[in-house]
Amino acid sequence: MTVRFRCVDIGKRYGGLAALQGINLELEAGIVHGLIGPNGAGKSTFIDVVSGRSRGSGQVFLDGRDITRMPPSERRRLGVSRSFQRTSIFLGLTIREQLYLAAHGAGGGHTGELVEMLGLGSVLDERAEDVSYGQQRLVDLALALVGNPVVLLLDEPAAGLSVAESQVLASHLEDIAARWNVAVLLVEHDMDVVFRICHVLTVLASGKWLVSGPPAQLRNDPAVIRAYFGGTA
Amino acid sequence: MKAMFATRAEAITGLIVALAVIMASVAVEAWGTRILVSLLSQAVIVSFLAFAIGFLARTSNLVSFGHAAPFGLGAYGTAWVLSNGSPLPPELGLLLVVPAVAGVFFLVGLVVSRLEGIAFGMLTLALGQGFFVAASKFRGLTGGADGRIIDLPRRLFGLRADVVQSPYGMFVIGLAILALVYLALRAFEATHTGRLAAAIRENDERVRFLGYRSRALKAAVFALSAAIAALGGVLYALYQGFVSPEILHWSYSGSALIMSILGGTSLLWGPIAGAFAFFFLRQELSALTTHWLALVGATLVVVTVAWPSGLSGGIAALLSRLGLRTRQGAAP
Repeated sequence: MTVRFRCVDIGKRYGGLAALQGINLELEAGIVHGLIGPNGAGKSTFIDVVSGRSRGSGQVFLDGRDITRMPPSERRRLGVSRSFQRTSIFLGLTIREQLYLAAHGAGGGHTGELVEMLGLGSVLDERAEDVSYGQQRLVDLALALVGNPVVLLLDEPAAGLSVAESQVLASHLEDIAARWNVAVLLVEHDMDVVFRICHVLTVLASGKWLVSGPPAQLRNDPAVIRAYFGGTA
Repeated sequence: MKAMFATRAEAITGLIVALAVIMASVAVEAWGTRILVSLLSQAVIVSFLAFAIGFLARTSNLVSFGHAAPFGLGAYGTAWVLSNGSPLPPELGLLLVVPAVAGVFFLVGLVVSRLEGIAFGMLTLALGQGFFVAASKFRGLTGGADGRIIDLPRRLFGLRADVVQSPYGMFVIGLAILALVYLALRAFEATHTGRLAAAIRENDERVRFLGYRSRALKAAVFALSAAIAALGGVLYALYQGFVSPEILHWSYSGSALIMSILGGTSLLWGPIAGAFAFFFLRQELSALTTHWLALVGATLVVVTVAWPSGLSGGIAALLSRLGLRTRQGAAP
């Protein structure tokens, strides 16, 4: 497998608090890499730093090219895309308008295929504020997917969705990673989704790397159980 | 994706606006009293300033307290290009005033557009007052507090100076230009850039993560808004034949902001309606009491409570109840 995205020694401090310390992570094409850990582990902070949303320490490489100092807009044009923990779409615009803007910003892309895959065809001309929350999350995902990204950083895409909607979303993500050969980093609290679609997991705890490996191996790892539940598992 | 923006509707709107301008011009000439025509000509000129402030609020969600600055610069620029010291022919000079002001405010916009809310409002207030003080102090250039008289050439763009400076002449000229600006902004809002500006207003961060550099566009919207105000300043200077620092004072911006709120910004034409309503309100109330401003304030409170989206929003709601649709933009 080809390593597309490499994060080296990523750190982030908020005053005296080290929110992230020396995290190294590699994302490979076609692989869904889960990033899990208890609340406050630094998962969203990690995505924020490596996507350019907030400043931290360390280096980020895309296909060997150092993109650490690039603004988010340039990273996006190179193919590094992300979604946000809270739905981050344009409520006053129609779905069609925002997909058009996203496609233009990313330099073109397969919006038609996306619309069909995510089942957004029937609401294309609706304003985003008028569609269901589940559809808004799909629009959020679509905005991140437009323009053939090579790296997709997803921050809790299933947050607020029902079990059935989460499973549909998981199917889409699995499909997208495989069909488009996208390197996906998935931060998610829904463990059903994580264990279903992730090929590899990294566990963070208190801003530090804890363990990495295949989901089946980590499911019963004592260190992971300790991080989530505390005590001496 | 291709057939996203309607053009037939825009053409029909253009026709309706053109007809409205012609009908208003004919009606005012036929039935307008001297006072009414004078009032209308002033309202048209200040409409540009209210329109500029409303457009910025609608497009970028930013409230400016300093838009008297581009208005005043447009007026002072006109005074300068029509003076003996200008190396340019008057018409060419006049055509360059608005782009020059827009250029200055694009650079200003690159700085101030980083801010939002109160911080943006206060910075524009400080900036506007800076221009006011500068105009008051640099007597050699501006005439200081005494102002500066403008000698209009006999003809401008083929029009006699006395036509430009007559209330009816300015009403028709101003209204026609205002209509063109309105149609141009409507067209702008339907373009890719216009949609992008709306997206930036809603979620600037997401726009950057879609691959756009939003700062330049925010500055461009600020500059476009300043250009509209400057256009009003040019007409003001041509009509009055005189400029003084009072048109740069923050209270001038404040009045235009009141007009914009009164008219509402959810519809593009709202601030224009607000400017006309303000002038007529002032005319009627000042005949009743010297404390007319207090009554204007009370009216503003009543209107904004009854119709949070201003007079235009109220009219749109009324038309909607009657089964007539208007294009309602998503604006503050």
